[in-house]
Amino acid sequence: MGLLSLLIFLPLLAVLAILVLPNRSNGSFKYISLAATLIQFGLSGYLYANFQPSESAFNAVSAYQYVEQMPWIRMQLGSLGTLEIDYFLGVDGFSLPLLVLSAFVMLMAIGASWRIEKSKKGYFALLMLLNTAVMGIFCALDFFLFYVFYEVMLLPLYFLIGIWGGARREYAAIKFFIYTLFGSVFMLLVIVGLYFSVQNPNTGAHTFNMLYMMDPTNYVPGSFFEALGNSQEILGIPARMVGFIVLFVAFAIKIPIVPLHTWLPDAHVEAPTPVSIILAGILLKIGGYGVIRICLGIFPDAAVDANWWLGLIGIISILYGAFNALAQTDLKRLIAYSSVSHMGFVLLGIASLTAEGISGAVFQMLSHGFLSAALFFLVGVLYDRVHDRYIYNFRGLASLMPKYTAYVAIAFFASLGLPGFSAFIGEAFVIIGTFNAESLSTGIPRWMAIFGSLGILLSAAYFLWTLQRMFFGETRLKGGETWANSLTDLSVREQIILFPTLALALLLGVMPSLVFGVLNQSVLSLLNLVNPYL
Amino acid sequence: MMNLSPIVASLLVVILPFLAFLIQAMLGRRSQQGTISLLAILLSCLISATMVFPKIWNQDTQHQALTWFSIGTKDFQIGFLLNNLTSLMQLIVCLVALPVHIYSRAYMKGDPGIHRYWMYLSLFCFAMLLLTMADNLLLMYIAWELVGFASYLLIGFWFHKESAVQANKKAFIINRIGDLGFLLGIASLYSIYGTLNLVDLFGEHGFLNTVPPDSSGWMTFAGCCFFLGAMAKSAQFPLHVWLPDAMEGPTSVSSLIHAATMVAAGVFLLSTVFPLFNTTVLLIIAIIGCITAFIAAYFALAQQDIKRILAFSTISQLGFMMVAIGIGAWDAAMFHLVTHAFFKCLLFLAAGAIIHEMAHLKAKHQLDFDPQDIHNMGGLRKYMPKTFILMAIASLALAGFPLTSGFLSKDAILINALEWGMQQGGLWLLIPIALIIVSFMTAFYIGRLMFKVFFGKLRINVENPGIHEAPGQMLGPMVFLGICSLFVVFSLNPLSYQQAFVLKGFEFDRDYTELHILHTVVPLLMSIGSILIWIWAYRWYAQGEAGGSFDKLRMTESKLRMTFPLLQLSLNQGYLNEFYQKAFVNSTVQFSNGLYWFDRHIIDGLVNLAGSLVRAISRISAWTDRYIVDGLVNTIAGSTYYLGHLLRWVQNGRLQNYLGFAFTVLLIGIIYLIFK
Repeated sequence: MGLLSLLIFLPLLAVLAILVLPNRSNGSFKYISLAATLIQFGLSGYLYANFQPSESAFNAVSAYQYVEQMPWIRMQLGSLGTLEIDYFLGVDGFSLPLLVLSAFVMLMAIGASWRIEKSKKGYFALLMLLNTAVMGIFCALDFFLFYVFYEVMLLPLYFLIGIWGGARREYAAIKFFIYTLFGSVFMLLVIVGLYFSVQNPNTGAHTFNMLYMMDPTNYVPGSFFEALGNSQEILGIPARMVGFIVLFVAFAIKIPIVPLHTWLPDAHVEAPTPVSIILAGILLKIGGYGVIRICLGIFPDAAVDANWWLGLIGIISILYGAFNALAQTDLKRLIAYSSVSHMGFVLLGIASLTAEGISGAVFQMLSHGFLSAALFFLVGVLYDRVHDRYIYNFRGLASLMPKYTAYVAIAFFASLGLPGFSAFIGEAFVIIGTFNAESLSTGIPRWMAIFGSLGILLSAAYFLWTLQRMFFGETRLKGGETWANSLTDLSVREQIILFPTLALALLLGVMPSLVFGVLNQSVLSLLNLVNPYL
Repeated sequence: MMNLSPIVASLLVVILPFLAFLIQAMLGRRSQQGTISLLAILLSCLISATMVFPKIWNQDTQHQALTWFSIGTKDFQIGFLLNNLTSLMQLIVCLVALPVHIYSRAYMKGDPGIHRYWMYLSLFCFAMLLLTMADNLLLMYIAWELVGFASYLLIGFWFHKESAVQANKKAFIINRIGDLGFLLGIASLYSIYGTLNLVDLFGEHGFLNTVPPDSSGWMTFAGCCFFLGAMAKSAQFPLHVWLPDAMEGPTSVSSLIHAATMVAAGVFLLSTVFPLFNTTVLLIIAIIGCITAFIAAYFALAQQDIKRILAFSTISQLGFMMVAIGIGAWDAAMFHLVTHAFFKCLLFLAAGAIIHEMAHLKAKHQLDFDPQDIHNMGGLRKYMPKTFILMAIASLALAGFPLTSGFLSKDAILINALEWGMQQGGLWLLIPIALIIVSFMTAFYIGRLMFKVFFGKLRINVENPGIHEAPGQMLGPMVFLGICSLFVVFSLNPLSYQQAFVLKGFEFDRDYTELHILHTVVPLLMSIGSILIWIWAYRWYAQGEAGGSFDKLRMTESKLRMTFPLLQLSLNQGYLNEFYQKAFVNSTVQFSNGLYWFDRHIIDGLVNLAGSLVRAISRISAWTDRYIVDGLVNTIAGSTYYLGHLLRWVQNGRLQNYLGFAFTVLLIGIIYLIFK
């Protein structure tokens, strides 16, 4: 068994252990989860340290490392040939940083779940199942396998929000579930369409292998998604464009883009803190990752035609999310909307189709992973103590909780793109890449960069306004003395979780080469795949 | 002493304050004296003065960089560029920061948050020094924003004060507007030239525009973007509004950050990227600079807060520097930046000493008055003679009086502007004329300040006010700055700016011809004009009615404002803050509230509508299923059951019934056979 399989199925072992152990020993569940995640984190760090960037093409197996490929399902389908589904794993510069991020955020989430009381067995089992699914998504190179992990991810999340969530948890859970399912069901149609259009050049059988799907020569002539000289149309739209749009919508719901974002504020607000951390830290990244790996990788021709619209959606998400964040009075909701805004940069960067833009987008995903997780954790700290998140109910917290205020201020400034922290590199290069797109004539005009940069201004406005309203000035709390007593400063456990997170954001901001070193070759390979269509 | 290469020495200069910041951050409350920060800046200062500046100034340019990271095929570097401009700026920052550090030890003593103060101050010094030496625009941008961040922290140093946190938010957000300009400027240059390295862009010795501009429209855009960045940082109209509010911070901070160094960063940036600017951009810079110089001087006329007067004066002087850049005399701008750094820093430190004493007076006698209001002061000359002399020197320098440094640099700008205006002709002459008027206004407002504060008699009526000279730790740095405000530091000839070493270090060919007559007429005119204004102001403020008691003064001023609405406008800063609040802040908040409503009710409403629609459809289909589809099934089943029920009745087990049925069937059969 390869390292990636170990990475994916280690949490599944933890699930088994948790399920087998009797309820009496429910105190040990968190330790089991923590151990599994720690090993995972170490393992992903090992993979990261030993990764050798390769200059191979984006659709060549040699561009991926730690590859594991074995036949999974082989079925004779009569005249339709052999059904060929592989257990095919591998990572490149796009997925590997996200794997490390996922392992880290999972670790944070376990730390944030330390004081969960309600049915621990189910909780930790579901959390570990989610962990498996997420890791699988980032490693899978077979579309069928990808889809399986993608759907498995939904189940634990539904229950985690629906059972351990806040007051409107059922509504939020169903909304989240159905929204994502809506996207993925149509994705299944495209997967099937692709399956029948692509042939394994070695065996001649139809295949779900993503790398084969990325090579135009593997398409069956005259098939539905044929890449060369395709004349298939649906309602007057070229079939490949339809395929691209459907896949994009599925992933766009995850990113999320405006106007498909409304599941996010509800899910984030109702979810318990650890699940909010996972949602913001990992789940949204699956959207961005999917757009890069699958939409751009399999439909580069359509992506080139559609990137103007992608950029526009990115801009709208940036500005719309930022304005909405400005209007919030619930701290958690504010951070949820700021996520929408920050993830808009990811889409804008990808749409620019420049090396700077795409690198910036991936960097922004990582940075947002660390920072939004930290932000949700910080909101959780406040909510744990007084069960209130309404911004105007707090004032002058700085005198009461100086350490907490320092962490909040650092997280806020890091998120609003202060140089030295990771978000700066991500946002700056998205803007630079978008601006540069016109020189490379990828179809993204320069005004998009200008509008996008307004998002950076607005993020300063809503974060600083919140700092001013909640943390500075004379102390005044809605709950009076009782609140003042329960609002104790950060505990050691909380600092153990927060410090490394912000330290990592700082490290990435000071040494972006840690990521770009791994990422760069993959970005260039991807651009080589896309460029012929420009 | 060790002999380090200037690059390594510069690295030390930058790193030392950063180390101080880290150590102070770790020590926290355990270190309150600021010894670490002071030591760091002292060493930086020594290294800069002995190992960097003498080896670079008018000698060779040095540049060293290493690759920071690569994106695509491009390498992004991190490195230092040392030439006349950067080494001068580095030295100035060190030289101003050091006295402020020493001063702060006495000035901030006993403040409960003092450990944070030292931390922030060291962070600022690090960022500012990094800014001066960055060899590429990305690194410069990073330092640029860090400087703004340190300024945010220091303005809001007293974070429990509502006005302070409002002010620091405002400062950061307005600076953010400028940062966007800087960022877009960087993006434009990157997309036009493919590099951000200053050496690649401008050549080894700086200021050689080796890259032919190929896309002129975007060059104008890039120029405007960089200027936008400079406008925010250097408080140019209409983005100047943050600087007066920034006076909420400790006065020592105002002197270092909001007078001498950070606000000058915009001028420094424009000097660095000067070759990028085409005529359009330069004219825009000159116009904005001129408007700023004028409007800020006008706002300074009627201010009552001593720090606000100085803040507006800073804005006005920055406007002078901008005009100098706009007319192409960036060397004069840099010269004025240098002289201004010293005398403006001194003005603030002296003001700090005065405010310190007034606050003591207030606390000692438990009075309620604003210790920064110049109307409450008066006659302080008798109590604080040394401060008076130092502040007078700085004021003379600000007004551009002979024998001071300000005289040289201000003349450089005025004469260059006049020469440029003569060359351009027509309406462009308005710019130098406006500058001359502004110079007279400067003489007036600083005269008003001096006479109100130091002459007449103290307007707070207490026995034995107990105001005395500041302690040596505060006075010492002020004396140093006072010496630096004199001409000898810059030029041996007190009357000709052309001998100044700063200008000689930046020699380049101008586009306009030199007019010798101006070099005599302008200084003469300015000096005589200033003296006349001061005599008039002295009569008005120190001797006349207004020189009397507080109430009388206040009454005269308010009467004056009634008669001259323009003064009222000046006091309220042209109502610009109110206008911005209404036009930008409130409307943005309203817009975002509206958008949130849209999000909740329209977008999410649609989602929920889709949900309810599906539920409604499913209810209908459930009803159909239950009553029609299943109803049909049930009907069939029911009728079958009924039929069976009917037939079951036949099977009742009674023999006679069976016989009866058999007989009946037989009978029917017979009848059938008969009738067949």
